[in-house]
Amino acid sequence: MSFDWSVVWQHRDALIAGTATTILLTVATMAIAVPCGIIVAILRLYGWAPVRALATAYVEFFRNLPLILVVFWAFYVPPILTGLGLSPLATGLAALALNVTAYNAETFRAGINSIRRGQVEAAMVLGMNRVQALRRVVVPQAVRRILPVLASTWVSLFKDTSLVSVIAVTELAYVSMQIRAQSFRVLEMLTAMAAIYWLLGYPQAKLVDWIQRRFAITE
Amino acid sequence: MAAGAKIIRYRGVIKRYGGFQALGGVDLDVHAGEVVCLIGPSGSGKSTLLRCTNGLEAIDGGDIEFEGAMLPRDERALRAVRTRMGMVFQSFELFPHLTALENVAEGPRTVLRNDLVEANRRATAMLAKVGLADKASSYPSALSGGQQQRVAIARALAMEPDVMLFDEPTSALDPETIGEVLSVMKKLADEGMTMVVVTHEMTFARRVGDWVAVFDTGRIVEQGPPTQIFDAPTTERTRDFLSHLGWTG
Repeated sequence: MSFDWSVVWQHRDALIAGTATTILLTVATMAIAVPCGIIVAILRLYGWAPVRALATAYVEFFRNLPLILVVFWAFYVPPILTGLGLSPLATGLAALALNVTAYNAETFRAGINSIRRGQVEAAMVLGMNRVQALRRVVVPQAVRRILPVLASTWVSLFKDTSLVSVIAVTELAYVSMQIRAQSFRVLEMLTAMAAIYWLLGYPQAKLVDWIQRRFAITE
Repeated sequence: MAAGAKIIRYRGVIKRYGGFQALGGVDLDVHAGEVVCLIGPSGSGKSTLLRCTNGLEAIDGGDIEFEGAMLPRDERALRAVRTRMGMVFQSFELFPHLTALENVAEGPRTVLRNDLVEANRRATAMLAKVGLADKASSYPSALSGGQQQRVAIARALAMEPDVMLFDEPTSALDPETIGEVLSVMKKLADEGMTMVVVTHEMTFARRVGDWVAVFDTGRIVEQGPPTQIFDAPTTERTRDFLSHLGWTG
C-alpha cells in the first residue's frame, strides 16, 4: 500500500477556500440563530397565545427533523413550488439557521426560566416595563448562564455544516470529496479533512470554555 | 408633599391566594416623613401588604391610595407610581451581572433615561450615602450581605422616591452585618424619608419607628406609637407575640 500525501498540498488552495466557506457558514448561521433564537424563546414564553403556539410548533418541527432532510427540502422544494431557487450556499445557510435557531430557542428558554422571579421584581420596582426587564436584567444573565450549551451547539454546528455538501455547497467536506473523487486518494483526503476539522474544532471548544469561565456570573 | 400629610392610605385591603385569605381587611395610614413598622409572626400578611403597595400583587378588595390617588391597575400607570416608591427585598436581588455602581445607575439610566454621566454621578452619590463609595466597581458576589443590602438601598434611592418600602431587609443577613444596614435606614429616617418597614428587628421598630402595626392572620390586631405597642400593648395578641420574641419591654 502506498500513500501519496502530496495530493493534499497540491489542492491546498481549494481546501483553504472550502475551509473558509465552512467557517463562514458557521459564523453566519450563529449570527442569525442567536438573535432569532432569543426572539423565538421570548415569543414562546411571553407571546400572545396563538404566537406562542406558532413558536412552539416551529421549535418542535425543526428540532425533530434530521438536518440533512431540511437541507434537501430547502434545496428542492422551494424551486418546485415557486420556481425560484437560492444559491446552494444561501440554501444551506437557511437550512442550518432554521435548525440551529430551534435549538437555540430551547436553550434560551431554559436560561430565561432559570433566572429567579425576584430579579424581575427588582427590575419592575424600579419602574421598568417587561421588555426593559428582559433586555437589561434577565437576558444578559440568561446568556451568560447558557454559554456552555451555546458553545457545544457551536462546535456541533461547525461539524454539521458538512451536511450541506449534499447540495454542492463548496465547503470543506464537499471540496475534500471532490478531490478524492478526482484523485482516488481516499485515505489521504479523508484524513486531511478529519485533521482540518479537528484542528479547527478543538481550539474553538477551548476558546468557548475560556469565554464561559471569563464571563461566568458568581452569585 | 407636606410633612404629616397622608402619603399612603390603606382601606379594607383584602388579598386572597386561592382559598387562602392573606389580608382580611387592613386599614392603615402612612404620613409623610413617618417610619411605619409592620411586625408580627411569619405569614401574618405584612409582606403581602407591602407587595400590594407597589402593585407587585393586585388586591382583591378595599383600596390603596398613594399621594391622594387610587393605586392604578393599569401597568403603565403603575410603573409611574413605582418610580416614586423604592423597594428593598429580603434577598437583596442585586443584578449579579452588574457592578455596584451599575446596579445603582440602572434605574436612572433605563427608566429615567438619564445619560451615562448623570446616571453615574447620581449612583456615585448614592453609594457614598450608604458608605460604599469604595465598592463602586465591585460585583455583588464580592460584597458581604450587609454591603449588598446597602447597595440595594442605594439602588432604590437613586430613583429619588417619595417612599421607601423595606421587606424584611435584615432577615437574610449575618448578625454582624445587620447593624450597618439598620444604621443606613436610621439615617434615612432622620433625613425625613417616609418608610414602611416589615421587620423582625424590634429594637429598630421601637427606636426608629413612629408608628407600629402588629399583624396576625392577615389583620392588624393593634397599631399605635412604639411606646404603646412595646410598653403598654392593649391586646392579648400583641403581648403574646412580643413575649414569644422574648421582649420584656
